Amino acid sequence: MRRGLIARSPDELPDAVLEARLDRLRAAMVQAHLDALIVYTNNTRPAGVSWLTGFVPYWSEALLLVPRAGDPVLVVALTYRVKTWIERTSRVAEVIHTPRIGLEAGRRIAAQKPDAVVGIVEFDTLSAGIADDLKQAAPRLALTDASELFARQRARADEAEIALATKAAHIAHRALARVPRDATDAGQAIAAVEATARTMGAEEIYLAAATDLGGDECLRRVEGEARLGRRFALRATVAYQGTWVRIVRTVERDGAAAEPAIARFAATLTRLPDTAGFANFRAWLIEGCRTTQPLDTLIGSRAVASPAPLPGLVSVQAHIDVDGQPVLVGCPVVIEPRGARPLVSPTFE
Amino acid sequence: MLSAERRRRLVAAMAEAEINEMLLYGNAWQGDYLRYAADFGILEGHGIALVAADGSVELFLDSAVEAERAAAEAPGVEVVFAPDIARAVGARLDRVSNHRLAAAPRRFVPRWLADPERGFSLDDSTALVDRLLMHKLPAEIDAIRQAAKIADDAYVVFREAVKIGRPQYELVADVEAFLRGRGCPDNFMILGSGGKDVLGMTPPSDRRIAAGDLVTTELTPCVAGYYVQICRTVVVGPASEAQRRAFALYRAALEAGIAAVKPGATAADVARAENDVFRAYGLGDYVTSKWTRVRGHGLGLFCDSKPHILEDVDTPLMPGMALIVHPNTYHPEVGYLVLGDSVVVTEQGCEVLCGTPRELFEVAG
Repeated sequence: MRRGLIARSPDELPDAVLEARLDRLRAAMVQAHLDALIVYTNNTRPAGVSWLTGFVPYWSEALLLVPRAGDPVLVVALTYRVKTWIERTSRVAEVIHTPRIGLEAGRRIAAQKPDAVVGIVEFDTLSAGIADDLKQAAPRLALTDASELFARQRARADEAEIALATKAAHIAHRALARVPRDATDAGQAIAAVEATARTMGAEEIYLAAATDLGGDECLRRVEGEARLGRRFALRATVAYQGTWVRIVRTVERDGAAAEPAIARFAATLTRLPDTAGFANFRAWLIEGCRTTQPLDTLIGSRAVASPAPLPGLVSVQAHIDVDGQPVLVGCPVVIEPRGARPLVSPTFE
Repeated sequence: MLSAERRRRLVAAMAEAEINEMLLYGNAWQGDYLRYAADFGILEGHGIALVAADGSVELFLDSAVEAERAAAEAPGVEVVFAPDIARAVGARLDRVSNHRLAAAPRRFVPRWLADPERGFSLDDSTALVDRLLMHKLPAEIDAIRQAAKIADDAYVVFREAVKIGRPQYELVADVEAFLRGRGCPDNFMILGSGGKDVLGMTPPSDRRIAAGDLVTTELTPCVAGYYVQICRTVVVGPASEAQRRAFALYRAALEAGIAAVKPGATAADVARAENDVFRAYGLGDYVTSKWTRVRGHGLGLFCDSKPHILEDVDTPLMPGMALIVHPNTYHPEVGYLVLGDSVVVTEQGCEVLCGTPRELFEVAG
């Protein structure tokens, strides 16, 4: 569950930005002849609703109803007692509290138009219970998948989103820099990173470690005691005000053998959205937000290519061989018409 | 090994219910059903475990990063990276569509898989898995006991973190850093600070701790995926007479609730014991859903498991169940106040797991 700082700053995520996003979405809905759009959120798939409202549930679930004309309504399973918290941390015209969010959403849409055409983002993976409740409450609604429609709007990174991602990247970068090169205890290293990130206002941080690259390069969540080898890697996944990035760093106790490989990686990043250069690496992965998952798998050496173009913000990871030794590296990148640029340096510098 | 013991128990329950294959859904919010079968603590995306009658487990994940992590963290499970998870699982279930298939928790299963148009149908086996989740093996209880020790220590860190002028999120940073240093990978915590203006606990904000604040928290660390919880309240500066009086009421309610935990009692009995104390003091309104969500809940692979401790939940308590009893609610004189302890139901009654004193702690104002 989310337990970092959940706060919406009107300076960093102004009302005008949210309104512009809604306007773009409503225009797409008109073109697609949708009367309403439904976006699901919980603490693991918050990125659709947070992009439109700033709302991030720390647990539980909600549906955002976006009418073709008019203000969005948030139907939440969270109790009424946290209403003021929701209003403080998001921008929604109306918040409705009910344990059966599908029933209430169906009723409200049908009250306006019983045979409305309703687009649902990620309709196929919507919980069966919510889908059943929607049908029960409003059997005449025409429900259709609106994932691609939403993804097309969501893919464009505006200045506010780039600024939030840059802040998230700097939090991760500075937090990872707290790991001493001579650290030997994984728990202590991870604690230092986590304390820094949360003190800097991270909404969330997930840390995974490959504790000894000499023996195993799999990134795991560390539980219990673990010793760090002479070369190890850490992956920090950081959220700041609803915007997520991943950074991976290889730490070498002796020397800097990884640096040439990291330089090659950095050069390849700047050529995005062209991914041809990544074929030189043993493994690579590009993630970004398409709909509701903050870091969706988009394309990579082990992932099927996404049919859609890459979104404007992505996080890229690679495993690179250097003299038979793995180097793990990763960095968020903004892809703009004039070129791609990493949000932070892929090194500790 | 705990995960193997759990899987054997699940397969035996499936055999008894004549279920050939079981689908268990999970995400980072509701991960307990998935973890029971696949022993993977999912953080991102959707996860679906398919358990066959022979005990073999396939774990479908729609995040490549999570699939890679699962391959390392969940030995003995076949991990499948499936960007279109519903259709990938559907294709797998098509091969056994003539078998008896069941799903838990069925209401969370992707709609596409539950659609009657599919060539297979998924019975609802949520209650079957709920029974396994609630009635724990000795090794599961051992993990919860270990987590309780960590919770006690983490609460000391929390108390020490409470200082005038610090924003709430820094308190969480201190606790989380302590927990990671102890090798504890996850924790759920919410908190509140202030006075009568505070109606409940939420994730931390940038509100700064001030003199006279009641600072409430529930900490919920885990060991091997098993969560335990502790709820306590700190007052910044000397407690007022009203705060002391209110706290005494919550302590009496907690003690009454814990005294009611025994085999044969129900969740409702525990809630009623807690709430009767409030009613006796004319505060019956504050034990309703307007002011409080639950009067406790189960613990295990989810931090808010069944049974919920409410006066309308008639789930019988049995040895091997783990609960937190917490009469947390708003008090009209002082604001939101919390106090709660985790317990395990035993043959004789219950064992209290946490050792932190049931005090209204005071820190320098």
